[in-house]
Amino acid sequence: MSRRRLTAALTAGALVLGLAGCAVPHRRGDGPIEKVAATREQVTAIYERYREVRNAAVELLDPTPLSTVETGPVLAVDTGSFVVSQKLKRSGEEDKGPIDVTRVETPRFSAYPLWIFAVVRDSERDIQRLQIFERARAVDPWLLVATPEALATTKIPSLRHNGGGQAIVVKPSDERGMSMSAQAAADAYARVLTDPTAVADAGITEDAFVRQMADVATKNGLLDGVQFEQSWAAEKVEHVVRTSDGGALAFVTLLRRDRYTVPVDRKITWPAGSPQQALLEDGIQGTTATLNYYHQIVVYLPGGTAKPRAIAQFGGVVQGEAG
Amino acid sequence: MRRSILGWALTVLGLCVALLGLALAVLLGPDGRRTTGPHEIETDGSVVVTAPRVIRWVDVRVDILVEVPVKKPVFVGLGNTVDVENLVDDVRRVEVTRFSAPWKLTTVDREGERSAVQAAPTSLDWWLADAAGLGGASISTTLPDEPVSLAITSIGSSNLSGLKVSLAYGIKGGFLKGLGLLLIGAGGALGGRMLRRGEHVFRDDDGADEVVYVYVDDDGVEHQLTEAEVVAGGFDVIEEEVEPGDVVADGERDTAAPVPAGEDEDGQGAENGAEPELQVGSAPTYVWIDDDGVEHELSEAELAELADDEYEIVDEEDDR
Repeated sequence: MSRRRLTAALTAGALVLGLAGCAVPHRRGDGPIEKVAATREQVTAIYERYREVRNAAVELLDPTPLSTVETGPVLAVDTGSFVVSQKLKRSGEEDKGPIDVTRVETPRFSAYPLWIFAVVRDSERDIQRLQIFERARAVDPWLLVATPEALATTKIPSLRHNGGGQAIVVKPSDERGMSMSAQAAADAYARVLTDPTAVADAGITEDAFVRQMADVATKNGLLDGVQFEQSWAAEKVEHVVRTSDGGALAFVTLLRRDRYTVPVDRKITWPAGSPQQALLEDGIQGTTATLNYYHQIVVYLPGGTAKPRAIAQFGGVVQGEAG
Repeated sequence: MRRSILGWALTVLGLCVALLGLALAVLLGPDGRRTTGPHEIETDGSVVVTAPRVIRWVDVRVDILVEVPVKKPVFVGLGNTVDVENLVDDVRRVEVTRFSAPWKLTTVDREGERSAVQAAPTSLDWWLADAAGLGGASISTTLPDEPVSLAITSIGSSNLSGLKVSLAYGIKGGFLKGLGLLLIGAGGALGGRMLRRGEHVFRDDDGADEVVYVYVDDDGVEHQLTEAEVVAGGFDVIEEEVEPGDVVADGERDTAAPVPAGEDEDGQGAENGAEPELQVGSAPTYVWIDDDGVEHELSEAELAELADDEYEIVDEEDDR
C-alpha cells in the first residue's frame, strides 16, 4: 500500500473514530458514587466570599457576619478576638491584599460532609495558613473550620493523590503505615499537655508546641498562693489526608481549660489589651475562674515508625467564667 | 490475498458504520432526539427524585419539562447523586427506583422526618442544571460522566400534585452525525470493494494526468500542440509514449503524437514500420536548434558525421 493510500485510509479511520468518539452515549459502570469536593472555580468563590464577609465584620467590628463563613473553634477564637476588640474599642485590620492560595486539595467523597484543604500564604506576617473549608450538608455554605499557622519556611509534606489527582482522605482511626492513628495522636497530645511527664510513653515528639504550652502552664503554676490547674482534651479528629511517604497530615482540635483558684488576699489580673483581661475585666480575687482556650494543630504523622509532631498551630481564648 | 482481506474488512466495517449512521438518523429524526410525555407522576408530596444509579447514561442530551397545575411554583434540577441524596435524605419523597426508555417507571414512597427540603433549591450552587418556574420548569443538559440524580421539588408550601413530566433524549446534532456516519460507512464499503477488485482509488503521481501532444512535420521537426489545437487541427493520435515510472490505466494516454486528419493511420503506421507502442527508456535523441529557434532532430550517425565541424553536445537531458 502506497504512502498516500495509507494516509488516506488512516484519515478515514480517524474520521470515523473521531465521529464515533465525539460524545457517543454510553452507560456508566458500577463505580462508586462519589464527587470531588469542589471545583477550582468553587474554591475561588469560597475564598472571595470568605474575604468579603471577614472584611465586612472587621469594618463593623461585629463578629456576627463571621458565622456565615466560619464555624467551630475558628469562629469561637475569632469571635473572642472581636469581643476583645469591641471592649478595647480597637479596630481590626482588613485583609485587602491579594489572596495567595498556594495549594488546594479537593478530595473525593461518597457522602457529606465535604471538605477541602488549602495552603494560603500571608506575606505580611510571613506565615502560611493550613486551612480546611467544610460543607457539612448539601444545603449549607462552605465554612472555615480550621486555620492553623506555620512559618513561611516550614515545609508542608507533599500529599499522595489518586488517579484523578485528588488528595486521599484517611480515616482518623486508620494507623496503617504509621506509628499511630490520627485520633490516637490527638489523644496523645492531650495526655502529654495535661501531664508533660507522660511524653516518653505517649509516642509523640516533644515539639515546639508542647514546649510552649508547658512553659505557659509552668509560669501560671508559679503564681504565689494561687492554685492553678490545666487540663486538655482532644476533640474528634475529622480531617486527615495521606502524605506521599505513606503517613498523614491530621487537623487536631484541642480544648484547654485553665482553672485559677485565688484566695481573698490575692488578685490575678492580665495585661491591658489582652483577651483574658477583656473576658475577666475585674481579674480574679477570692474566687475561682476558668479560661477556656481552643488550639488547633496540624500533626504530621510520618510514614513508618517515626513519632508524630505538630507543624502548625492556631488558637486563643474563647470563654472566661468567673465564680 | 492481503488486498482481498483488507478489502473485505473495509467493506464490513463500512457497512457497519453506515448501518449505525442510518439507524441513528432514523431513530432520532431531524431534531436529533426522541420525545415522550407528558406523563403523570402521582404524588401529593413535595419531592420526586431518582434513586442512585437510575440515571446511568453518559453524553446523552436530555430535555426535561415538569409541569404542575394552577401555576404552582416548581423546581427541577440535575445534580451529583452525593448532593441530591444529602438534600432529600430525611425528606418524605417519591423515589424513582427504575426507569427504562421511552417511559417506564418504578417508584417507591420513602418516609422522612421532613415534608420538604430544608433550603430553597434555587439557592444551592451545586446543581449541574436547574430551573424553576410557576406552573412549569425545564432543563436541557448533557448527562455528564459522574453519578447524577434528578430532583423535582415544590417551592414554598405548595406540593407536586398533578405533576406531569415530559422527556426528550438524544444526541446533540445526532441526525447530522448519523448522516455523516452513513456517508463515511458507504465510502468505506465502496473503498473496500475497489480494493478487493484491485482498482486504484488514488493515483500515486500528481503529474500522471499531464498529456503532451507533439506534431512531427515532414522535416522531422517536433511542434508541441495544445489539446485545443489538436481538436481544431483535426489531428489523429497515432503514437503514444509513456514516461518511465508512470502507471497508466486501461484506455489512458499520457503522451500522444498526432497526425493531420485524413492521413491513413494504418499507412502512417506502415511508414513508421510499427504500431504505436510503449517506449520506456528509449535511446537518446539529438536535436539541433537553428538560429530561428526551430528544432531539427538528428540521428546518431548524422551527429557523428558533423560533430567534428559544426556540432557539439551542449546540453544533456535525462527525462527519467
